[in-house]
Order: sequence, then structure tokens, then C-alpha cells
Amino acid sequence: MKEFIAILKNEIIKTIKRPRSFIGFGIIAFICLMLQSAFYHDGKEILSFVTGQLENVFNVEGKVLNGNLICFIVLQTLIVQMPLLVALVTGDLVSGETANGTIRFLLTRPASRTKIVLAKWIAGLFYTLLLLIVLGFFALFVSHWIFGDGDLMALNSEGLTIISADDITWRWGYAFLIAFLSLSVVASLANMLSCIMDNSITPIVTVMAIIIVFTIIGMFDLPSFDIIKPFLFTTHMISWKSLFEDPIPFHDIWFSIAVLIVHIVLFISISIFYFNRKDINS
Amino acid sequence: MQKLLSILFLFVSFQALAGDDPKLLVRELNKKFNQISDYKADLFMEFNIPGVKMKNLKGKVVFKKPNKFKIKAKGIFFLPKQNPMQNMSEMLIDTNSYTSIISGYEIVEGKNCAIVNIIPLKAQDELILGKFWIDIKNPLVYKSQITTKNNGTIETKSIYGSNLKYALPDKIIVKVEINKVKVPKMMSVDLNKKSKPKTGIESKETGSIQLNFSNYTINAHLKDAEFVD
Repeated sequence: MKEFIAILKNEIIKTIKRPRSFIGFGIIAFICLMLQSAFYHDGKEILSFVTGQLENVFNVEGKVLNGNLICFIVLQTLIVQMPLLVALVTGDLVSGETANGTIRFLLTRPASRTKIVLAKWIAGLFYTLLLLIVLGFFALFVSHWIFGDGDLMALNSEGLTIISADDITWRWGYAFLIAFLSLSVVASLANMLSCIMDNSITPIVTVMAIIIVFTIIGMFDLPSFDIIKPFLFTTHMISWKSLFEDPIPFHDIWFSIAVLIVHIVLFISISIFYFNRKDINS
Repeated sequence: MQKLLSILFLFVSFQALAGDDPKLLVRELNKKFNQISDYKADLFMEFNIPGVKMKNLKGKVVFKKPNKFKIKAKGIFFLPKQNPMQNMSEMLIDTNSYTSIISGYEIVEGKNCAIVNIIPLKAQDELILGKFWIDIKNPLVYKSQITTKNNGTIETKSIYGSNLKYALPDKIIVKVEINKVKVPKMMSVDLNKKSKPKTGIESKETGSIQLNFSNYTINAHLKDAEFVD
């Protein structure tokens, strides 16, 4: 165990210290600040696309443009891009070392290959968690600091759901947990491809391609796509949004969580299985 | 006996007159409105707006003559553009600014109501037509239908309790015609949700807001600070 912790520590330091890891943090900070700035200046105008339908008849009372709404918008915007940032780092955790030849040195250590893959996978998850913490800081705390607190007017295709400010903190907590689970699927997939492939770019590009293709399939309301949609992990990656519905479809959320966990277990199992049988030639 | 008959005759005549004369009905109603210089009450709002899911909300309502009116509640809520509590008295109070006619009679909430139509005399008025169902026996507005230039038509139904003499309702149900609120898919980012098939021309749906008033405090000399957020 001590040995595993040492490897894990080493992998975490290696992952975090890489320049590309900071690209993710930078992009998240930049996008958050950019959206916050846009909403600060033109928020009412942007929101009028939605509230305008009501404002012909009703006066909308209360503070609609608040930290909770901005966080909701930032989160739903970034959740499509975040997997790409995760893949950028986790996609070459193994293949990068294979391509560089440093994997040989790593394998000379007494730790088993399973432990090494697991350490790399956990390091990837740690990076994913850090990304989400950065996102949470900017999207939730900075937005609250700039725009203040208030009820959330959650936007979904069915319409609007107004959630009281008193009833929202726990929803954010669980939303970030589900978001972490969703991104962990991406990290696991990237790790698996990284174990299978021998150069550092291909797994990253493959993960990105898979996410783009799955997202496109999810976007179209075609009967032939409807059959496969429930099996695509991207379908379940935005299940955090269901926490902001009324009533909350807990059954659907649990199903999505189960699907995401199954994907993670499957991907990490394949990673271990493949890496244990892999010939290291480089 | 003769005296009693005379009083009875006068009372019946007044009822008959009031029932036929919209101005008399409105005047009697205005007398009730005029007794109020200010009021404060607890408010419980229930919302049923197509495409909007929200919980019921508690708040407070404050009014002070001539036209200070505020609903104080925590959070986001919706109120009709035409405030039924304020508009009704404001619209009816200046009897020289409109023509009124009785267009019929209808039983509303078990009361025999005259349907008083109010047509503004000035063309530039925001109001196009106001229809008020006013009880003939005890002039109170039980139902109204107000059509304005900018905000369409809203319908209200009032239920009275212990504040009949001030014409202050315990409950007002406001009904409006509205298109169901829709959020563009790109804004909602519900990429995986199935769009509902469009059913040709989209008809308007009826939304309603129910305002329940309780614990009225009337003529308590409210301070202006009550109207500040």
C-alpha cells in the first residue's frame, strides 16, 4: 500500500506539474470571467430572450440575474467543453510515457502493472476534481460575489423552473458530484485508450471525436438515434441538470449515475486487462 | 305602518335604481374604496403559469393613497402588468373620465351582478374596455375583465370575506392568456431531451395567479418607508 501511495503521489505531481494541465485551469477561468463580464453588461438583454415571453403579460419581480443563474449557465455551457479539457491531460497519462520511453523505467519498480494503471487513473481523477473545484470557485463563488444571491430561474427545454435560494445549496453540491462522475467517465475512457495506444495524441483526439459524435447523436431527434441514446454516456453526462427540475426525477438521476459508474468500471477494467498484457517495445 | 311601508318603498326603489344605473352602482362602490387611506395585509401567492414551475410564495401587500402599492416577497415572482387591486379602484374612482353602461346581468358567486362596461372618454387612455360584474345589493366587484392597449386582457375573480365594507377581497384569481414559455434548446442546452412535436398554430394557454389576502390592517397610517425595498 505504501508503495502504491508513493506511485500515486508521484503520478499526481507529474500530472499537475505539466504545462497542459494549467491550460485547463486557464481556459475555465477565462470562460467563466468572460461569461460573467458579458452577463454583467448585457445580462438583462440576454435574458429577455426568455423572460420577454412573460414580460408582455407579467412583471417579473425579484432579482433574476443573480449568482445562481450565472453559475447554472456557466455550468451548462462548460459541461460540453470540460470533457475535452479532461481528455487533454488524461489522454496521454500512459501513452505519453510509452511514446517517451519512460514507461520502461516506471515498470522496473516493484509495483504491479495494475497498481501503476490505477495510480495513473486516480491521478487523472484528481486532476478532474481540481478542474471542477476551479470551475466551482469561478462559476459559483465569483458569480455570487459579482451578482449576489437569489432564486434560480433554471432554464430547460420544458420551460422555466424557479428554485428558491434557500433550497439550492444542496442541489449545487450534488450537481458538482454528478458532474465529477460524468467527467470521470471521460477520464477513464481517455485512460483506457491511453493504455491501448502508443502515441500521446491519438487517445486525446479519439476521446474528443467520441464525445463530439455522441453529442451530435444526442442533439438530433431521430427515431433511429433514440434507440442508442440511452447507452451513450454523453446522454447521462448532463443529468446534473435534472436536480434543478421540479419535481426532481430521482429515478432518472439514479439510472444515469448507474450508467456512468458502469462505464467507469468497464473502462478501468479494460485498461488494467490490456496494460497487464501489453508488450512494451519502446 | 305607513312609515315602514315608505322606508321599504324607498329601499326597493333604491335597489331598482341602483340595479339600472351604472353610475349609482359605481358611486356606491367608490364610497367603499374611499374609506381606505392605507392598508397592509399578509399575502399568499399561488402561480399556475404555462411553462413555469414555481412554488407558492408568502409575502406582504401594502397600499397607501393615492397610488402607492407594493407587494413585498422574497425571491422571483410574477405579477400581472395590470395590478388588479390597484387598477380597479383607480379606474373607477374618476367617474368623469369614462362612460358606463350596464350590458346585462349575471349571477356570480351567488350574487346578482350587473355587468358594468366602462369605456374611457379619452382616446389616449391605456384602457380600452373595462367590464365589471358588480353586485346590485351590496356593490362589490366580483369579476372583472380589463382590456388595455399594451397588456391585452386580464380577467379577475374576487372572493370577499370579512372586509366587505372596504371592498377588500380575501382572494383574487387573475387569469391571463399567454403563450407557453419556451426556452431555446441552445440556451437550455438540453441536448438529449426530445423535442415535442409542434401541433400547427400554437394557441395561447390560460395562466392564473391566485392572491390570498389575510390579516388586513386598514387605515393604520402607514409610513412611506413601507414602500421602500
